[in-house]
Amino acid sequence: MISVKNLTKVYGKKDSQFTALDSVSFTIPDGATVAIVGKSGSGKSTLMHIMSGLDRATRGTVEIDEKILTELSAKDMDRFRATKMSFIFQSFFVEPNQTAFQNVMLPLEIARLTRSNRRGRVLTALKAVELEDKADTKAANLSGGQKQRLAIARAIVNKPRLIFADEPTGNLDSTTGDKIIQLLFGINKTIGSTLIIVTHDDELAARCQYRIKLKDGKIESMATPKQMAKKQTQDKLPVKPNLKPRPATTAVRKVM
Amino acid sequence: MHITDIIRRSSRSLKSAKARTLLTALAIAVGTFALSLTLAASNGAQSFVDTIISENFDPAELIVAADESIASNASPSEPQEYDPSFGTSTSNAGATIQVKRITDDDIAKISALESVESVREGIQLNVQYITREGQKRYVGTVAGFSPAQNPETLAGELVKPPKNQTVLLPEAYLGPLGFESAEAAIGQKITIAVRKPFNVAALSPEVIAQLQTDPDAAAALAETNSITEEFTIAAVLKKPTTAQPGTELYLFVNNNDARRLYDFSTEGTPDFGKFLTVFVKIKNGNDSTVLIASQDELKTLGFYSVSVEETQAFLNQAIGILQAVVATFGAIAVVASIFGIINTMYISVLQRTREIGLMKALGMRKRDIGRLFRIEAAWIGLLGGIIGTGLSLLVGLFANPFISKSIDFDGDLLIFEPLQVGGLIVLLILVSILAGWLPSRKAARLDPIEALRTE
Repeated sequence: MISVKNLTKVYGKKDSQFTALDSVSFTIPDGATVAIVGKSGSGKSTLMHIMSGLDRATRGTVEIDEKILTELSAKDMDRFRATKMSFIFQSFFVEPNQTAFQNVMLPLEIARLTRSNRRGRVLTALKAVELEDKADTKAANLSGGQKQRLAIARAIVNKPRLIFADEPTGNLDSTTGDKIIQLLFGINKTIGSTLIIVTHDDELAARCQYRIKLKDGKIESMATPKQMAKKQTQDKLPVKPNLKPRPATTAVRKVM
Repeated sequence: MHITDIIRRSSRSLKSAKARTLLTALAIAVGTFALSLTLAASNGAQSFVDTIISENFDPAELIVAADESIASNASPSEPQEYDPSFGTSTSNAGATIQVKRITDDDIAKISALESVESVREGIQLNVQYITREGQKRYVGTVAGFSPAQNPETLAGELVKPPKNQTVLLPEAYLGPLGFESAEAAIGQKITIAVRKPFNVAALSPEVIAQLQTDPDAAAALAETNSITEEFTIAAVLKKPTTAQPGTELYLFVNNNDARRLYDFSTEGTPDFGKFLTVFVKIKNGNDSTVLIASQDELKTLGFYSVSVEETQAFLNQAIGILQAVVATFGAIAVVASIFGIINTMYISVLQRTREIGLMKALGMRKRDIGRLFRIEAAWIGLLGGIIGTGLSLLVGLFANPFISKSIDFDGDLLIFEPLQVGGLIVLLILVSILAGWLPSRKAARLDPIEALRTE
């Protein structure tokens, strides 16, 4: 269970204070799929950073698996991240000069897994994203979709309790994006990891069991499975049409 | 992360930036090359000095003088009062130094000491000429043979000390004296002529009258005023590779013969029976405490002595100073290359900001991130060390035969000690790790959120 209580993050000093998160509280059961939505600057990235221990909260607590992350030492936090969490990013962040195999191996090395245990796990993870035949291909030679699948393999190789996905489809065309989403939800079912997706994409958000909408650092609305089921019976159509691919996104892809 | 994984990952990241890595390593290699060659040359020079000294001097022998100023060879700083019993020497700058010499009485005094085994004069005499029947005359130097010498022979047998009226002939004289081969020279006789000083009292009044009117007659008389002795060639010496430099053309005879010829050439002059230095062999003188004790004993008698060991130490010190100068330049080059490593590592950190961010997000410890970059720097140091020492080994391989040939030395003048080479590489790795410290700290302190920002 993930329990966030009164989470507040304030940036800057007295005169130029900016409250990125303002008393955010919610609870999510294990194995759930969660979407954190909101506009730019709504605080969703800050929330993800604090929940994953990359950033420190000004006030409040995050409790995962009966551990209060906000109170862990840096060392224990690293250990927790290495064994219990993983990340999927919009820009994939796979190492282009390394092979797919080496990319997926990284979390296992960080978690100090013995060498004999690594190979099987890496291959299983690559198989799960259908990249087993690309194990020795350099990541630079993979397509965008393949790179994101590689990033997913890297995220699941450690069998984490919690996967954070930050705009996982943001750099992909809609067809590829759909595949990635299906893959993510499939993994959520098969290995039971809690999946937390930070996204602008309402369609993607709509497919999650929980939806936390942030505005100006506060929870504007939170939808639980019950409420959503009710809502879906009320209006069966998706809220907004799919706008992808976005022009800004294509620009980023060219740079990559 | 396990250290083996860190090492593998850091080497992989270097491989992905080959040109940059290689260029940085080359900068270190330059200093390493200089240091490695300096060490090798230092070893070589020391072994050269040691060989020459051990092949030519007996460590149980002391070089004894009656005057300390002979050792320094410095020009006198104030006028010295003339003393006819003193001899003169020439300073390094060419000035006359008046030096007290060792006399036969002194030799007797020294020989009488309990600790002294023997005394020899160590004579080197420039003779008038050397020749053989039917051959041209050549100038030459005759020297008393030291038992410590171990020259190689081309033919004949080396007897220590050489028998009376026998000579050890340098190879170079074979052709000029008309010998077909070294073997052909053995048992043959050569003539050595020694100029006698004028003894005016012994000349007849007619001769004196003639000398006064005809200046050329004096020159003619001087030319014929010499004695000749025949010596049998006992052995032909190979062109020496480990001789004391400058003694390559010496004709060696035994000490008695050398002394007799010297006495002929000095009879009736103030130089007769006087020597700048003598060689004193000490009983059990291989034991340095015995040697030092006898040096003190000689000092109380008013003699100044130098042991072979002291001479060697002095020479090695001179070599050491030279090496230190070269090594300093090498060290400066290495220090300069440190900045290259720092720069390269900063670039590496900047280029891999995202990767560092990702690794931190995935739970890699600060300490391990720092290590990743320090080991990357260590790799560069190792590479530079291997390139530098490798190049110096290569230079040694090609230069050694060439140098040895040009100075006629039978050994190598660039000697690489595996321990030194290894130590040098280890030192470079340590220096590189030190250079990688700041960049690695920057990497370890990187904020993952900043690093992973897409914009």
